[in-house]
Amino acid sequence: MDAARYDCMAEPAVRGFSLLRDRVPADMAARVVARFAGTMQDHLDEPAARGGQAGGRAVETLLMERADHDRLRAAFGRSPFLTVELGEDADERAAPLDDWSGASAADHPDLPGFYLSLTTGTAYGLQCPVLVCDELARRGVLEPQRRSNVELCLHEAVANAIVHGNLGLSSAVKGEPGGYRRFSEMMRDRLGDPAVTRRRLDIFCRWNDRCVAIAVVDQGGGFDTELAPATTGNKARSGRGFVFMRTLASRVTVTDGGRCTVLQFDR
Amino acid sequence: MDFKTINTGDAAEVWLTGRLEFTDHDRLSDIIALVEQSAARRFVLDLSGLEFIDSAGLGMLLVLQDETESRNIKMIVRGPAGDVRRSIELARLSEVITVEF
Repeated sequence: MDAARYDCMAEPAVRGFSLLRDRVPADMAARVVARFAGTMQDHLDEPAARGGQAGGRAVETLLMERADHDRLRAAFGRSPFLTVELGEDADERAAPLDDWSGASAADHPDLPGFYLSLTTGTAYGLQCPVLVCDELARRGVLEPQRRSNVELCLHEAVANAIVHGNLGLSSAVKGEPGGYRRFSEMMRDRLGDPAVTRRRLDIFCRWNDRCVAIAVVDQGGGFDTELAPATTGNKARSGRGFVFMRTLASRVTVTDGGRCTVLQFDR
Repeated sequence: MDFKTINTGDAAEVWLTGRLEFTDHDRLSDIIALVEQSAARRFVLDLSGLEFIDSAGLGMLLVLQDETESRNIKMIVRGPAGDVRRSIELARLSEVITVEF
């Protein structure tokens, strides 16, 4: 194993290791640049955010075989930088080389933030936006009066990443007569396909005094970002998720061919 | 999302609780089955106990509106509050659905 060194063997559900950021594979680094360049960078470069950048290379990371609500809460309670669900039948020694995007967090491990990588099978129905907002609140980043809008935006980004990204479902079918039944069947089919449910959903939160940025990354086929609606008719069956995000977030940026949505909220 | 049904004679009422979101498409089919079986001319969707609705859930309300309308049943969305009311107002759904706040 090239990119990781095991620090300790904690309880079986959660194991700690350190990602060595100077050994991130070049192709993974290139994908990360494609996803986050120009969106995360603007506030990472601010003087207030540069403070502790000269830290060590090791990035505190927690691995778990299967994530659920309680395990994630317990993992967050230990305040790791990266929390990664390996997923069923995953090879834990190969996990750091998998196509999750933790490399971007490893570039600046001393800046405040946290990173969560889940399989689609786990993320579906887990309500991870609630868990992430709970964690942002616990770390003093999310004020109670702003929680509701941030959570709705994150929920919509995660729902898009799961349904349209990793499950590869189009909302077009919903507009057909009886389309809701067909859509429901298609969703069940995809959720029964292990090749689909092991695709990753990554959520990456970073913040400074002025802004909170949350990136949601999927491994789907992407979409034409020009088609993401800024407005939608009040009878439309779909498309409201992006309208909500654009209305409630300070900025919404879509990169990596539609596979990465970055929500920014001014503080 | 969970729901319970009450038949008042005049209306079929469905009371939703929890969260109505993209994982609930199967439950939508269950509610539409109730509409299909109902003899009442009014269909009340009570959201006063609902905690959260996302854009997919709002789309489900529109599907229910179509399903009731095609059967000459009047649909009324009743009592959305808090985050649910915020989402309904953001989407301007009350322009196309009867909403009693």
